[in-house]
Amino acid sequence: MTDGDRLTRPLNEPGKKTEEGGPGRPDVRKPGGDNELMRRMRKVDPDQAKRYRQRSGQ
Amino acid sequence: MNEHVLRDPKPILAGIETEYGLLVEGHGAEDQIDDAITFVRSYPGPCFVGWDYHYESPRADLRGFVLERLTVDPEDVKYETGRQRGTDHEIRSDRILPNGARFYNDHGHPEYSTPECWSLQHLAAHDAAGERVLLQTAEAFQRETGLTARVYKNNTDFHGASYGTHENYLVRRDVGFEALYKAVTPMLVARQILVGSGKVGAESGKACTYQLSQRADFFTEPFNAETLYRRPVFNTRDEPHARPQDWIRLHVIAGDANMIASATARKIGLVKLAIELVQRGEPPLWRLADPVEAFKAVSRDETYRFPVQLQGRSWTTAAEILESYFAAAEQTLDLDHDLKWTIDTSRALLLDLSSNFEEFKKHVDWAAKRSILETYMDDEGIDWQDPGLTAFDLEYHNIDPEEGLHAALEQMGAVEANPNIEALESLLTSQSEPNRASARGLSVSKYGENLSSACWKSLTFELDGGPIEIELLPDATYPAELADAVDVGSFIECLRGAK
Repeated sequence: MTDGDRLTRPLNEPGKKTEEGGPGRPDVRKPGGDNELMRRMRKVDPDQAKRYRQRSGQ
Repeated sequence: MNEHVLRDPKPILAGIETEYGLLVEGHGAEDQIDDAITFVRSYPGPCFVGWDYHYESPRADLRGFVLERLTVDPEDVKYETGRQRGTDHEIRSDRILPNGARFYNDHGHPEYSTPECWSLQHLAAHDAAGERVLLQTAEAFQRETGLTARVYKNNTDFHGASYGTHENYLVRRDVGFEALYKAVTPMLVARQILVGSGKVGAESGKACTYQLSQRADFFTEPFNAETLYRRPVFNTRDEPHARPQDWIRLHVIAGDANMIASATARKIGLVKLAIELVQRGEPPLWRLADPVEAFKAVSRDETYRFPVQLQGRSWTTAAEILESYFAAAEQTLDLDHDLKWTIDTSRALLLDLSSNFEEFKKHVDWAAKRSILETYMDDEGIDWQDPGLTAFDLEYHNIDPEEGLHAALEQMGAVEANPNIEALESLLTSQSEPNRASARGLSVSKYGENLSSACWKSLTFELDGGPIEIELLPDATYPAELADAVDVGSFIECLRGAK
C-alpha cells in the first residue's frame, strides 16, 4: 500500500495536508464501572447471534 | 399531466429506507417472509393500504439499459423452493403513514421508508421515529400471535446474509452516471470512518477482529444495479420516482444503519456535499485503484490510518479524501446550514479520532460499539476470539429501549442523545415539511376513503367521475392551505396548484 507516492490532495484541487500518517490508533477506555450497560451485557445470551439467521435483503 | 417548469431544489430532497432484522421466537429464516407479512400487518397506528407499484423499475440501469433479471442469493432460493406466495400486495402488505412514510415487508424484512425530507435534522429524526413504528408493531404482533419478536436495526446476521439501509437523493438527470459515480464513490469509501456502525469479525475474505462497516464484506463490484447479491459500492438502479426526463434518484446502498441519530444526519450530509459539488461546483477528483478493495481496506484497517490506494500506485487516506470535499465545498458552493454543520462536525470528529477518542465515541456508532466490547473484554478477561462478542454486536442494535446496548449507552449519557420518544411519536402522525411527503401524508390521513392508491410519485383518487391521478412533484413546495382544504375536491385543486 505505501510503496507508491502519497497524495494528500485530489488531482484537481488544492487540499489541506493532515498530520503525517493520519489518525493513530485510538485509546479505547472504559465507559466506567459497573452500570446499566454492564448489567445488560451480562444478561445477553452468548449464543444469541448464533441463532440469528436472516434472509438476504437488499 | 400538466406542464411543469423544473426547479433546482435546494436543499436536496432525501429519504432513508431501513430493512430491519426480525427474530421471532421459535422461528427461523425459512419462516421469515410469513413472519414479516404478519408483523407488518400488525402495525396498530393509523395508515392507508393501497400502494401503487406502477412506477417501480428496479431493473432499469442509469447507464441506459434494463437488466433481464436481478440476481438473488442462492441460499434464499432454497428457502422458497416449493412455496406458493400471493400477489405483490399480499406479500408486501404496504402501509402508508400519515407522515407520508411507507412501512412494508421487503424480502422478509419489515422496512420503514421515511418521508422525503429537505432537512438533515428532520430526516434523521424520521429515521429514528421508524424505530417507534417497529416497536409498536412488535407489541401488537405479540398481542395478536402470542409470539415475541425482537427487532434489530443493523445490516447483517453474521452468517453471510445482509439487508440494507438505503439512502435516496434527488439529483438532476443531466448530471448523468459518469459524473455522479466519480463524485460520490470516493465519498462512500471515505465516510465509513465517521458513520460506520461497526462489526465484529468478517463474513468474507480474510479474517479480522473488528471493522468499521457492517456492509463492506458484501460488496463485490464497483457499480451495478443489483441489490440482493453481487452488490456494488455504487448502485446504478434507475428508478427515479419522479419524471425520468428530469430526475435521477441516487440510490445509495453502501451505508450502515445508524443508532446515533446525528450519525444518520452526517451520513446523509456527506453524500449531499458530493452531490452538490457535482451539480453546482467542482468535486475533487480521486482515481481509486479499486473502489471495492478500498471500501474493504478502510473498513478493516485497525491502525486507523485508513490508507486508500489510488491509480498509478499512489495513495491517500480516507481523512484526506473527506477534507478535499470540505475544502472544495467551501471554495465553490454557497453552503446552507446543513452543509456547514456537516463540514464543521465532521472536521471536529476527524480531529477527535486522532486526539480525543472519548469524545469521538459519543458520536460514532463503530467507536461506541468497539468501546463497550473492549470494556467487557477487560472485565471478563476474554479477547477478540471469544465467539460471544457477536451477540453484543447484535444487541447494540436491539431497538427495545429496555434491552438494547445502544439504548443503555444513551440512557447513561455515553453517546449523543437522540430525539425523545414523545417527539419521535409525534412525527408519525404529522407532516414535517411542505414537500410532497406532506401531500401524501395529508391525503392518506384525511381523504383515505377517496384514495384508491398512492406511491412516492403520485396519488390516485376515485371520485364519482372516475379515477384522477395527481402527480407529486419532488421539487415543489406544497402550500399550507392543503391542510385546510374543506373537501376532497378543493384538496385536489390545491395539489394541482403546487409549484
